[in-house]
Amino acid sequence: MDLVGIATGQILSSFSVFLFLTILLLAVARRISTAVLLFSLQSAVITAEVLATAFQEQLPEAYVVGVLVFVIKVVTIPRAFFLLADKLKTVRDVKASTTPTQSVFIAAAIIYLSYAAVHSYGQSMHVPDDALAAAVSLILTGAFLMVSRKKALMQMLGLLVLENGIFLAALITTFGMPLVIEIGVFFDILIGLLLMGIFTFRISDTFDHLDVSKLRRLRG
Amino acid sequence: MKITIDILQVLFLILGAPLVRGIIARMKARMQRRQGASVWRPYAELAKLFRKEDLVPPTSSAVFRLAPMLLFGATVCVAAFVPVVHASALLASGGDFFLLVYLLALGRFFLSLGALDGGSAFGGMGASREALVSSLAEAPFLLGLVAVAILASRADLAGIVAWTLQQSIFNISAVHVLAFASLAMVALAETGRMPVDNPTTHLELTMIHEGMVLEYSGPRLALIEWASAIKLHAMLALLIGLFVPWGMASGDSAWGIALALLLYCVKAGILMVLLSVIESAVAKMRMYLVPEFLGVASAVSALAVIFTMLAKR
Repeated sequence: MDLVGIATGQILSSFSVFLFLTILLLAVARRISTAVLLFSLQSAVITAEVLATAFQEQLPEAYVVGVLVFVIKVVTIPRAFFLLADKLKTVRDVKASTTPTQSVFIAAAIIYLSYAAVHSYGQSMHVPDDALAAAVSLILTGAFLMVSRKKALMQMLGLLVLENGIFLAALITTFGMPLVIEIGVFFDILIGLLLMGIFTFRISDTFDHLDVSKLRRLRG
Repeated sequence: MKITIDILQVLFLILGAPLVRGIIARMKARMQRRQGASVWRPYAELAKLFRKEDLVPPTSSAVFRLAPMLLFGATVCVAAFVPVVHASALLASGGDFFLLVYLLALGRFFLSLGALDGGSAFGGMGASREALVSSLAEAPFLLGLVAVAILASRADLAGIVAWTLQQSIFNISAVHVLAFASLAMVALAETGRMPVDNPTTHLELTMIHEGMVLEYSGPRLALIEWASAIKLHAMLALLIGLFVPWGMASGDSAWGIALALLLYCVKAGILMVLLSVIESAVAKMRMYLVPEFLGVASAVSALAVIFTMLAKR
């Protein structure tokens, strides 16, 4: 029992470090499969954070949310991505428009910016700086991945990373939204993923590639 | 008593170095479903080389002949800075981590000079690549160490290790994680391991270290090989001492020292497993990608330094 308490405290105090690491690694990832694995890892860290919060604040609902996060974001979505990449027979490269070094520097700048941005909020809302900064930098990194990677699959992944950030921000500021809303959000993600999956299929069918920078003309 | 431990510590780093190489080579072999040579083979190789005739190219000058000795001397000095079983080292009061970084650079400098002086085309190519890698690795190496030093507010390695020992093992900070990531990448580049340089290759277009030592033979080659093994061992000990020093002896009781040594071997073993996994799983990078790799290390270490400002502890 005490051990669980210690583990909870450790997770709450150190999870943001691991989130920052996943952000930096996402910036250097060259292959789509690596990026998907990193997303899965990131979601696992967030699952641990949800469960730790549930334990500390005695919120039975949050356990359900934690299980949902695990099932959907750690298991289902990465599997769906691998299946999609397999079916599309796409190249493994993410087609970044920035070099890995530039990406890491940008990710580092994002992390620093989010620390600077949340500093005043964190003090007035009694939320740890680290956690809020991690959430904001996840949102910004997701957006950065969406604009700097040319593969349609990576843009989907960027959106999911962004969503992870929003989820985390909601979790640490309000200890999670009501369960009904959470379930609705998860359902949204799944449907969104389904739609985007169909859409990428159509793109690759029509254009024989997934490079969105080349989608300039309409084709019927 | 403290001096004795310090001296034994340096001897352990120097004499154990070929064994580290042998163990890594063996682990790699087993991971690739090969039988692999005995872990003691590097010692046999060194002994063989020390007995062999020393051939020197007729066009070379004294630099070629002196370079291996200077490299070996600089590397042994580096080993004397690194704490292994307790938070102190033979030269601990003699200098800070800047000296350690530049002693390593000094060794590389002389090795490159020797390679150029040897007069073969591969030596020159290896030396120019070595210069590229080492100049790019210098910034992340220093920045990573600076980040840890700022946290500890000490500049000497033994002091940093002593400070880390007083912290709780569970209180990992972002600075430590980032600094470890960057220093581990630097260590791979510095010691010429897999993604940067292939230690087992003799393929002309890819070799860095092997290209530089191509003209050396006999005892001088043995000194160079031994020095690079010491460098690898010292980098392992440095990573362990800076980031997971817990278990080091605080007093000078024999049991404490023995326990610390045992724990050190376990930690080093884990690092060696990691290293051989990396070497078996990752392909060597093209030379043009090495600046990218070290650029990532630089970014991570710069972030580590920035995070020291945010760390409240």
